[in-house]
Amino acid sequence: MTATELKNSSVKDQVSAEEWALRLDLAAMYRLSAKHGMTDLTFTHFSARIPGEEDQFLLNPYGLRFEQITASSLVKVDMDGQILLDNGHGVNAAGFTIHSAVHMARHDLACAVHTHTPAGMAVSVLPQGLMALTQKSMRYYDRTAYHDYEGVALDLDERDRLIADFGETHHTMMLRNHGVLVGASSVRLAWTRLYTLEKTMQAQLLAMASGAKLREPPAEACVKVAAQWDKGDDSYRQDGWESQLRLLDRADPTWRH
Amino acid sequence: MAATAQNSRNTNVPTKPGVKDMVSAEEWQVRTDLAALYRLVASEGMTDLAATHISARVPGPEDHFLINPYGLMYEEVTASNLVKVDLNGDKVMESPFPVNPAGFTIHSAVHMARPDVACVVHTHTAAGMAFASVETEILPLSQTSMQFWGRTGYHAWEGISTDLDERERIVEDLGTNRAMILHNHGLLVAGPTIPASWVLIFQLERTCKTQLQAMAAAKAMGTELILVPDDVAESTAKGFDQTMQNAAEGKTTFDWQAHLDAMDMLDDSYRH
Repeated sequence: MTATELKNSSVKDQVSAEEWALRLDLAAMYRLSAKHGMTDLTFTHFSARIPGEEDQFLLNPYGLRFEQITASSLVKVDMDGQILLDNGHGVNAAGFTIHSAVHMARHDLACAVHTHTPAGMAVSVLPQGLMALTQKSMRYYDRTAYHDYEGVALDLDERDRLIADFGETHHTMMLRNHGVLVGASSVRLAWTRLYTLEKTMQAQLLAMASGAKLREPPAEACVKVAAQWDKGDDSYRQDGWESQLRLLDRADPTWRH
Repeated sequence: MAATAQNSRNTNVPTKPGVKDMVSAEEWQVRTDLAALYRLVASEGMTDLAATHISARVPGPEDHFLINPYGLMYEEVTASNLVKVDLNGDKVMESPFPVNPAGFTIHSAVHMARPDVACVVHTHTAAGMAFASVETEILPLSQTSMQFWGRTGYHAWEGISTDLDERERIVEDLGTNRAMILHNHGLLVAGPTIPASWVLIFQLERTCKTQLQAMAAAKAMGTELILVPDDVAESTAKGFDQTMQNAAEGKTTFDWQAHLDAMDMLDDSYRH
């Protein structure tokens, strides 16, 4: 098999059914983030823990745009970013460091996603951080951590501080002067949280920039609504995931390869 | 029993075969127009994944309404997969698709109180949410905004709208207006026809964006906004009142066919 053939081959027969299902979901999420304009060329990562495996993860093939990612091109790596299944693609091991820190510390989070959108970077540099201004933003109330910027190179020391900042109960973290990180128990929940966060940050910036006084709901209401969001995540709320997959199929079904 | 649309560019859209033969011609027309409106709202980027709703009154004496199948993106809404519900959000016609009764609360409040309203549109756009989260009201800044000047209600945020007693306050706050700002939440329009509601939500979105940008620029430059005098704004708004009255009387469809043609070009599966 040539290098190109290897890169384009399917790994479906080489992985468990659970891993293949996860690959489909994660590839879909890369495509959805591209569709909604939340990418940064070939940079940033979404990672997911492979079910039934303690420390095996899927990560994007480095050098591809998110709209080019497929289920088979996702790379299986260990905690150190070492490749476990050769599919001809490489990874950005350094870029995985933030993700591996989160995965190492938080086994309740199956998926960790990180973006560099203008809205995310802008909110990350505001002292107010993410505000509970809109009903949607209350999904993140008391669930968002903050990590100060320390430079590009993420050494092992920073990994410890990042984990300490993230804590045990937050699912979202503002990476100061950098971007946002969202964790979730599944890929589809990570996508909904990421999408909602992006929109609520756009709204917050527009509201703040207007110069008008902000209508800040009382803290007790935010606490109540945040709990309602969590309850909805676990029960009645429809996330429209299957519908979004059909729309991806309509536009370009290659993500399923 | 669900199936998928045929004879369409978009063959993977879930539909409900046979609905056309089970409903009146008037209802099928409303279904087609409402499905087109979902697609129009999507085409303008005013959706929020599976959240938010657009509802329309079914012609006839029953208080029956059509609403989107919960869990489908707006790009997948079709004439046949719209779900027919009563004022409680309970299905009145069998459908394999779920509805979101809680999400219908705001809509049912408006439909209950305003039989003149054919269609209610609610959005969670970034500009709409931002506008709803600052202490401001619609200002007479542009011709576009003046159709909402003095014709917009404001509803204080009470938490996620699931309490049925909030309906009374929604109705009171909307009054006889054609638009409402739901504080810390989003936008709502209530038009006399489906095309009128389309024009209203498009223009309200633009009004909010424009005012936020103008406010930000004026604040940054330390200048005041130039407002149209009240009497001019009022006479302009009255002109729009007449346009809405014309729509109610069937004298204008706001070039609806042009919008349908645009959606047909994009993806005509909404007709199924």
